[in-house]
Amino acid sequence: MMPGKLLEIEGLRVHFDTLDGPIEALHSVNLNVDQGQIMGLVGESGCGKSVTSLVTIGLATCDIDEGSVKYEGKELLFSDSESDKKIQEISGRITAVGVLASIIFVFWAILIDPVQGATFLLVFLFVSTASWLVGFAGKSEYRRHQKFMRWVRGNEISMIFQEPMTALNPLYTVEKQISEVMREHDRLVKAETPRFFFKAAQPFLIFFAVCLVLAALIIIQIFSVGPPVIVLVVISAPLLNRVRVTQALVSPLKLAFRAIRLRPQSASAILAVLAFVTVAHLYGFADDAKNLVFLLVIVIPLAASWTLFKNHNAALRSEISDTGHSTNPSIFTKGWVRKSASILLPLLPLGIAAALVMFLMLWMPFSALLGMVVISTLLALPVIMALDYLRLDPAHTQQVISILEAVRIPNPIAVVNMYPHELSGGMRQRVMIAMMMSCEPKLLIADEPTTALDVTIQAQILQLMRDLRDEKGTAILLITHDLGVIAEMCDSVTVMYAGSIVEKGSIEAILSRPRMPYTIGLLHSIPTIDDESEHRDVLPIIPGQVPDPNLHFDGCRFHPRCPFADELCISTPPPMIEVEPGHFAACHHTNRTENVADVQGSFDVFAAEYVLKGVA
Amino acid sequence: MTHDSKTDEILLDIKGLRKWFPIKSGMLTTVKSYVRAVDGVDLQVIRGETLGIVGESGCGKTTLGRVILGLIPMTEGSVHYDGEDIRMMTNRDLRRRLQIVFQDPGGSMNPRMSVRSIVGEPLTVNGIAEGAELTQRVADLLASVGLKRDHMNRFPHEFSGGQKQRIALARALSLDPEFILLDEPTSALDVSVQAQVLNLLEEIQSKRDLTFVFITHALNVVNHVCERVAVMYLGKIVEIANTKDLFSKPAHPYTHALMSAIPEPSLDKVARRRIVLSGDVPSPANPPPGCRFHTRCPIAEEGLCDVEEPKLESIGEGHSVACHFPLGPGMKLPILGDDQNPPEDDDMPNTVLL
Repeated sequence: MMPGKLLEIEGLRVHFDTLDGPIEALHSVNLNVDQGQIMGLVGESGCGKSVTSLVTIGLATCDIDEGSVKYEGKELLFSDSESDKKIQEISGRITAVGVLASIIFVFWAILIDPVQGATFLLVFLFVSTASWLVGFAGKSEYRRHQKFMRWVRGNEISMIFQEPMTALNPLYTVEKQISEVMREHDRLVKAETPRFFFKAAQPFLIFFAVCLVLAALIIIQIFSVGPPVIVLVVISAPLLNRVRVTQALVSPLKLAFRAIRLRPQSASAILAVLAFVTVAHLYGFADDAKNLVFLLVIVIPLAASWTLFKNHNAALRSEISDTGHSTNPSIFTKGWVRKSASILLPLLPLGIAAALVMFLMLWMPFSALLGMVVISTLLALPVIMALDYLRLDPAHTQQVISILEAVRIPNPIAVVNMYPHELSGGMRQRVMIAMMMSCEPKLLIADEPTTALDVTIQAQILQLMRDLRDEKGTAILLITHDLGVIAEMCDSVTVMYAGSIVEKGSIEAILSRPRMPYTIGLLHSIPTIDDESEHRDVLPIIPGQVPDPNLHFDGCRFHPRCPFADELCISTPPPMIEVEPGHFAACHHTNRTENVADVQGSFDVFAAEYVLKGVA
Repeated sequence: MTHDSKTDEILLDIKGLRKWFPIKSGMLTTVKSYVRAVDGVDLQVIRGETLGIVGESGCGKTTLGRVILGLIPMTEGSVHYDGEDIRMMTNRDLRRRLQIVFQDPGGSMNPRMSVRSIVGEPLTVNGIAEGAELTQRVADLLASVGLKRDHMNRFPHEFSGGQKQRIALARALSLDPEFILLDEPTSALDVSVQAQVLNLLEEIQSKRDLTFVFITHALNVVNHVCERVAVMYLGKIVEIANTKDLFSKPAHPYTHALMSAIPEPSLDKVARRRIVLSGDVPSPANPPPGCRFHTRCPIAEEGLCDVEEPKLESIGEGHSVACHFPLGPGMKLPILGDDQNPPEDDDMPNTVLL
C-alpha cells in the first residue's frame, strides 16, 4: 500500500519585514510528509527549520510571498481574493475618514452650531459604521480560515517545542493544561457532576445564592431557626439543580473536613484556641486569661533568648575545657532540652503572633468577635466555593490520568496536580507530548524536542515518540540540528541550509551517500565516539559562517563555503537534481560529489586556504 | 590513585572535595538540608593534559569546576594547585594562573563593552599593558583565536556564537594562564562551528602548553578532545580512565548506558542495541543510600548496592571505577530497551497500527 501524502509544502517563499528591509527567510521550500512517516528536518540555527513548521500551522509572523501548504489536500495558507482585498482597503479608508470627520463635528457641535454639528456627526457616524461593517463582511473568508486553522492545530497537527518550561503555563496544574486542550477540541467525556449553569457565571451565581441564604440566616437568628431554614431552602429550590445546590452549601464543610484531615495538628490547635476563647468569654474569665496571654507574649521571647544564651555558653565551655567531665552540669546541655529547643525555636515568631491574636480575641467583646467571624466567613466563602467549582471534574481528571499513563509518567495521580516547575525536564517534555497526544493528531511537529534534555532522558523521549508512531500511526516532522537523533528516528531526511532545502532523500541515502557538499561537511564535522575508526587529530570542518540572512544570493547560498564553487554557482541557483531514485540534491556539481572521501579531501584543502585568507 | 603511573607532574590535586549548598527555609532561615552538589571528589590533573568531566545536568560538574577555580568556597576537602592550596593563594595570583571559559559566550560578556575592552580588561586590571601596547596585545590575542584586528572595535552583539566563543577564549588567554577550565564551551554552538572551535582549542593548547579541564555532557566531544575522562553522577566520580580505555571498555554501568544513549549519525550504530535507563536522576538534595546509581542500575543487587557505597578502585592502569560489579571488557549489560521491541509495559498495548 502506498502511504498517502499527509503534508505537502510546495514552493514556499516567505520574508520578514524589518526596519532594515525584508529578510528572506525561506526560498522555495518543498517538503512532503507521508502518513505514518518520521521525516527529519535538519540544519543549523537560522536555516529556517522552525519558520517552515510555524508557517505550516499558521503561527508564523512572516509574510508569505508564494507557495502552498496542503494538509490532506486542504490548503492551510490563506490569501484574500483580489476583490476582498480591495473592499477591505476602501472600507478601511472610509472608516478612518468618517471617524476623523465625526470627531471634528463633535467640536463643531460644541463650538459653532449644535444642530448642524449633530446632524453631520450622525451622518458621518453612520457612514463610518456602515463602511466598517462592509469591511468586516469582506473579512469573513479570513475569519472562517482562522477558525479552520484553530481546528487543525491540536486536532490534526500538533506541535511540541524545544523548551517545555516556556511552553507550559507555570500558573496552572498539569491536569488543567491538558484538559484545556481537550475542552477546546471537544475531546472531554461527559462530566460526572452535572453543571447546568453557564460555566463562567457559576461562581457568581453561587456567590449570590450563598449571600442570600446567609443574609436570611442572620436575619432569622441563626441559633433558633437556622437549621430548618437551610433544609427548607434546599428542598424548596426546584428551579435550581438540587444536587448542585446541596453541594455548594456543603462544599465549605467538605473543604473544612479536608483541611482537618490534611493538617490535623494546626487545625486542632486553631479549633482549641477558638473553643478556649469562647469558653473564656461565656464563663467570664476572659480578662484573667487575657492577662495570662499577654504575659506569655513577653515571657516566651525572654525564655527563648535565655535558652539560646545558656546553650551557647555551655557549648563554649565544653569546647574550651574539653576535659570530658562537666564541672557545672546544666539542664541546658541535656539532650532532650536541646532537642525540644531546636523544634520550638523556629516556631517562636509564629507563637508570638498566635499569642497576640489570642490576646485580641480575649480583649474584644464577644459580640464583636462573633461579628468578625461571620463577616470573614462571608468574605471567604464565595472564594472557597469558586475555587472548588473551578476544580476539574473527576471524570476529566481520570481522562488526563490515562493520557499521562500512556506517555509513561510514573505516578500520574500525583503528577496531575503538580505545577510544571515541580517536574524534571524529561517529565515536562512528557507532559508536552501528553498534551499533544490528547487530541490524537495525525501529524506531530516536534521542534527540537530533546535538545534541552540529557542524553539518557533524550533516549527515553525518542523511544516514546517512536512507540507513539508505531501504535497510533502518527506522522512526525522531527526538526533538529542533531544528525544523531535523525539517524536514530527518521525514515527520510531533508537538509536545510540558509532558508532553502539542499538535499533530501531516505535516511540510508543521506547518511551513507550524501551528494551535497554541505551535508558531507556536516556529517564529517561531528566528533564520533567510535574508537575503531582512525582518530584524526584535527576535526574536519566547514570553513566560514552561516551567511547573514540579509545578504542576497543570486546563485547557491552555500558557495562561499564550498570547495567546488565556480562562476555557475555564484550566478545560478542550483536545481534539485535526482541523483538516484528518491534522492535529490541541490548542487551544480553532483557529478563531482560521488566519492565522499574525495569531497572531504577538497574540504580540508579549501579550509586550509580559507584560514590563510584569514576570514574565519 | 586515579592518575597515570607515569611520572607526570600533578598540576591540580583535589582531595575529598565537597560542596554542599544549604537549603534554607522558614522565618528564621534555618538550614533544612543540603544539596550535595559535589560530594567527595578525588581528582588529579596532570600538567599539559586535557581532562574531560562528563555527566548529565545536575551531576555537579560545573560546581566542581567553580570550586576548583575558587569562584565559590568549598565545604570540605582541599584543592592544591601546583602544590599550593588555592585557599591560600591571592585572588590576583589565582586568576592569572587559572582561567575559565563559560558555556554561553553572549552571557559572559558585557554588551556595552567593545571587544578591545573585553579582551584587554584583564591586562589593564593587572597593570600589564595600556595604550598602544594594549591594542597590540589585544590584536595578537584576537589573531591567535582566528579573528581580525578590525574586529576589535565592535561589540559582542555583532558577532555570531562561534566568534563570541573565540572572543571569550581570547579573554581567558590574555593573562597567559597555565590552566583553563572550559565549561561546556561548545554546547551553545552549531555543529559545523563546534568543530572549528574544538580545532582551535587543540591548536592553542599545543602552542601555549596549556592544561585544560573540559566540562561537557557530550561524550563524542570528549572522545575527540580529551586524554583522560572522569564520569560524574550525582556529585561523585563513578569512573575515571584514559579516553581510549573508557570508550573501548567502560566498566561502570552508568558509563555504559551513557555511551549507548548517544545518538550517532551513522546507520550501523543505530542497529546496535541500546540501553534505555529508566527514570530520572535522583535529587542531589536527597541522594539514594549506598551506590547512588542503584535506583537506575540494571545490575544492582539488593542488600549490597543499596546499602554500601562503592569506593573508587583501580581496575587497570589509570582506570578506576566506583562499582561493586565493574563490567569487564566485552561484557554487556542486560538490555532493558531495544530498538525493535519496546520494553514491556503493562499499561501500553503493543499494537502496531502502521
